[in-house]
Amino acid sequence: MLELVNLCKAFGQRVVADHLSLTVADGETLALLGPSGCGKSTLLKMIAGLERPDAGQIRLGGVDLTALAPEARQVALMFQDFALFPHLDVRDNVAFGLIERRLPRREAYARAERALAELGLAGYGARRVWTLSGGEQQRVALARALVTSPRLLLLDEPFSSLDAHLRQSLQAEFRRRLAAAHIPAILVTHDRAEAFALADRVAVLQQGKVVQCGRPQELLAAPRNAWVASFIGYHNVLDDGVLPEQAFLLGPAHPPARVERVDSLSEGIRVELTQQAARFTLTLSAREAAQFPEGLRAGQNIGLGIDRSRLIRFAGA
Amino acid sequence: MRAVFSRQALALLPLAFLTLMALAPLARLLYEGGSGFSANLFQDDYLRWRLLWSLTQAVVTCVLALAIGLPLAWVLTRFAFPGRALILRLLLLPFVMPTLVAALGVLALFGPHGVTGLNLQDTPWLLLYGNLFYNLPLVIRAASEALASVPASRLAAARTLGCTAWRAFWRVEWPVARPWLASALCLVFLYCFSGFGLALLLGGQRYATVEVEIYSLVAYELNLADAGALALLLLCLSGGVAFGYAWLERRLATPGKVEPLPPRPAVTLAERTLLAGALALLALFAAAPLLAVAGRALSAGVEAWAVLGEGDTLAALANTLRFSALALTLAAVLGLAHALAAQRWLWLRAAAFLPFVLSPVCVAFGLLLLYPGWSASLTLLLGAYALLAYPFVTKSVAAALDGVPPQWPQAARTLGASAPRAFVRVVWPLLQPAFRRGLAFAAATALGEFAVTLFLSRPEWTTLTTLIYQRLGRPGAANLDAALVLSSVLMLFAVSAFVIIEWPGRPAKDSDHA
Amino acid sequence: MFKKVLWLALCTSALGAQAAELRVLTHSSFALSKELLAGFEQQSGVKVVVIKAGDAGEMVNKLILTRANPIADVVYGIDNTLLGKAQQAGVLEPTASPAGAAVKQTLPGMVSVDYGYVTLNYDKAWFARQKLALPTSLDELTRPAYKNLVVVENPATSSPGLAFLLATVKGLGEEPAFAWWGKLRDNGVKVAKGWSEAYYTDFSKNGGSRPIVVSYATSPAAEVFYSKEKLAEAPTGNLLLKGGVFQQVEGVALVKGGGQKQAAQQFVDFLRSGAVQADLPTQMWMYPVLPGVKLNPVFALAQQPTAHDTPDSRAIAAKSAGWVSRWTRVVLKSGY
Repeated sequence: MLELVNLCKAFGQRVVADHLSLTVADGETLALLGPSGCGKSTLLKMIAGLERPDAGQIRLGGVDLTALAPEARQVALMFQDFALFPHLDVRDNVAFGLIERRLPRREAYARAERALAELGLAGYGARRVWTLSGGEQQRVALARALVTSPRLLLLDEPFSSLDAHLRQSLQAEFRRRLAAAHIPAILVTHDRAEAFALADRVAVLQQGKVVQCGRPQELLAAPRNAWVASFIGYHNVLDDGVLPEQAFLLGPAHPPARVERVDSLSEGIRVELTQQAARFTLTLSAREAAQFPEGLRAGQNIGLGIDRSRLIRFAGA
Repeated sequence: MRAVFSRQALALLPLAFLTLMALAPLARLLYEGGSGFSANLFQDDYLRWRLLWSLTQAVVTCVLALAIGLPLAWVLTRFAFPGRALILRLLLLPFVMPTLVAALGVLALFGPHGVTGLNLQDTPWLLLYGNLFYNLPLVIRAASEALASVPASRLAAARTLGCTAWRAFWRVEWPVARPWLASALCLVFLYCFSGFGLALLLGGQRYATVEVEIYSLVAYELNLADAGALALLLLCLSGGVAFGYAWLERRLATPGKVEPLPPRPAVTLAERTLLAGALALLALFAAAPLLAVAGRALSAGVEAWAVLGEGDTLAALANTLRFSALALTLAAVLGLAHALAAQRWLWLRAAAFLPFVLSPVCVAFGLLLLYPGWSASLTLLLGAYALLAYPFVTKSVAAALDGVPPQWPQAARTLGASAPRAFVRVVWPLLQPAFRRGLAFAAATALGEFAVTLFLSRPEWTTLTTLIYQRLGRPGAANLDAALVLSSVLMLFAVSAFVIIEWPGRPAKDSDHA
Repeated sequence: MFKKVLWLALCTSALGAQAAELRVLTHSSFALSKELLAGFEQQSGVKVVVIKAGDAGEMVNKLILTRANPIADVVYGIDNTLLGKAQQAGVLEPTASPAGAAVKQTLPGMVSVDYGYVTLNYDKAWFARQKLALPTSLDELTRPAYKNLVVVENPATSSPGLAFLLATVKGLGEEPAFAWWGKLRDNGVKVAKGWSEAYYTDFSKNGGSRPIVVSYATSPAAEVFYSKEKLAEAPTGNLLLKGGVFQQVEGVALVKGGGQKQAAQQFVDFLRSGAVQADLPTQMWMYPVLPGVKLNPVFALAQQPTAHDTPDSRAIAAKSAGWVSRWTRVVLKSGY
């Protein structure tokens, strides 16, 4: 189990960690979700030993890591740009950590090849790393991190440099691999969809503090405050809570609302409406959108009812 | 934190060396001279003219080197032709030539009895030509490295956005090359401004630089006060340039690995003409004087080449080998330590240029004052060699270090490598090409050993260069021929040194991408 | 392993300390047959360490700078242009000449070893080609016919350059001499940094365009000695003009504060020995001071000047610095 206890870190005025405490259970994947530049990557570097915290403790399996050098921690970090070594080929990259663990070269290469094969990269061993596509590079980086059987895996925005299509297909695979490896993992991302898709629990960070931490459903069911609610993807955030999609009722029976803007999505449409100075954003599935055979246009009026009983109140209020 | 601490510790080595070998001697000399320099020293028209001339010729050389060097580098980088790699390496050859021999080569071409029939002696053209002979290769190398760091994709993007090749050069390649060129030109400026030799040799006393003035003040008039004041003035002027250079160079930091445009064969008539023209220009400025020396040596006949069998020559060859190897080892250690430490502090980076900026004659006499008991020791002589050679290693390695993103060694650390292991397995291999490049420059300096003649020496330490000067210290055709033969041998020596140092470089291997 | 190396190093350094060393400071043109030096080492039981300190002027300055902690025990190569400076600075021990034959060329306080003449050399082929008569006086060199024909060394950076300046001052008188230099400047005299530069890049015999150069009276003989196909006649000649010939006497002396006094004196005697005196001429192209030494036949081609204009060393010591700076003003600084 990994425990972060009262970690503090600041670079001058910028606070990265402010008495931050977290735990990650064995085999669990925790996502750190926060806006860009809030210091998530620095947190990972502190856990890996590449940055020293100003105060606080980092414990793994009950042992204090804080004073240990990075190489002594057995914590693997996968960098945002993968940080593959350009002077080594794919096989040497993957075998890098094994050779540091004094494995005979032949054995190290055999394991590296096996790890590559598992990730669908059999036969890539002799390739130069900059000839690989983004997805291939990511898998090499993952193989390099996993092949040493680290006690903890740290992932810094592992999908940010990949295209959307690749991202989705890889995320499912990634989750399977993490579960199979049974290694606790911390994933840093600014993308809530990624966090919800991959993690068992999500910790939302703001200005060096954990604002809320819980399973994805818990977060969705009870965001702590307006900031968290909008950060995890709710559109219609009120003072005391959020209105989920199911709180909105459409039909001519309801009071009129004016259509301000219509955007097509891959499955359905997003509509922005105003009703008595209040502005709402609704996502309509293709089925719901079919109610309007002529389609929706800006300037048009439609009936909109709101079921206040479905309001999700902020957990912290 | 630990890394910072150990880098601080690394800085101690070059700093101690610089203090012992350069700063302390200079300070000692200034102390000996006292502050009694002539008040009217700087009101002297003659001296003002010297300063102005030193500045002018340095600036003009910079401008010419840029105007000729950049197009040349572009052609050499973008077009493939047989012998390209060799030519890029041979560019260092002029560095090795003793100035007097280079002047002989230049005069063999453009002197009163020159083969071209064009007599440029006693015109400013001849000394500008001489300056370019030594400095153009520097600019070409820098520009060619810069152009090689322009990603092919960026050029392709510019072309698809409607740029002609010419516009693409100005809008994509030129901005990348600019800081590289600026840094190379800083170096050219430093060489020409504080340089000693060629201008004086080819231009006569009228074109002597301030450094020559300092030399005669110290070595002949023993007027240490005036010399010290002048040396300090020069130090301030060129120290400023050196600082600018260090600053620029840190801005050069390029990503570690780009896929550059591979050179392609010249196909069209226009391209071939361009390539031929560039090679001809290069031959004219960099190769012709060397070829003239070699040609005169070859035509000197068998008797002249018999000098190679003489005991003195063999001993000098052995000494050259021994001293260069020792000096290079020292330069490698100092240069690496300095480069690693200099990542953190700009001033430390600028300090690496101290050996280029200090007046050599002041340092030589200062050393004598400071360590009279050691003055005729080999240690001191090798120290002097290393002092002049190691900044090249620092310069080159520091630039390469800038290009290594921090996450590479960090990734190695998280994969179980200790800091030293991460350096050896990740950073060091990436620095290799730059390290070798720096060593090649250092070797050229050590072989050419300009200014080392200012230090005390012993007959049994005679090297090729000193032997050449000895021969040219006596009248007679046989002595001249022997000097030319020895110079050709020195060139051969240097070529093999460059090939050994740079040939198995990784870039060749790395760029054979699929 | 390490211990072994250390032990070895200690032993060798101990051995090195046992063999007494005699430190001999010389200018960079010093040369002597190796066998002779080895013979001296064997005879005297000291190891001779030759230290070259650059040009003679540079050497004297290095000696002066380190007088508190001398870098040598004995110095060879100080000549009559530098003797006064060295003596004023008090870096020399008065050194007694060895007994024996009386020598004509002497240096007060030092032991003279060899002598030679600094004079103008000319390129014979050039003058034959141009059908130009040789000048018969220094004054003629300032005439239009001889415009841009002369190269001299800067007296501030070169020993022969200084010697030539001294000869003009002595031969023409101080004021006329500088007037002459002014006219020579207007007639396009070129100034080179040192002898090698002047001789090999400016002299028309080699790479340059000037058929008249300040050099040594023995240079024509050396040209024959070092010629490729054995020449019967020298390709260059001496222009022995009034006010243009300087007699340079080089000597050896003990350094004040140096060690090994006895060996040092032995070395002084050695330089005056018949063997060294006979070896000198073709090594350094100077004449031996010892009378009756048989010269290499090639010296028959070297014309020994019958007259010279050499100020005495006391006058040189007192005035040469002033003359050099006046020369710099007249020749280099005017016109800026």
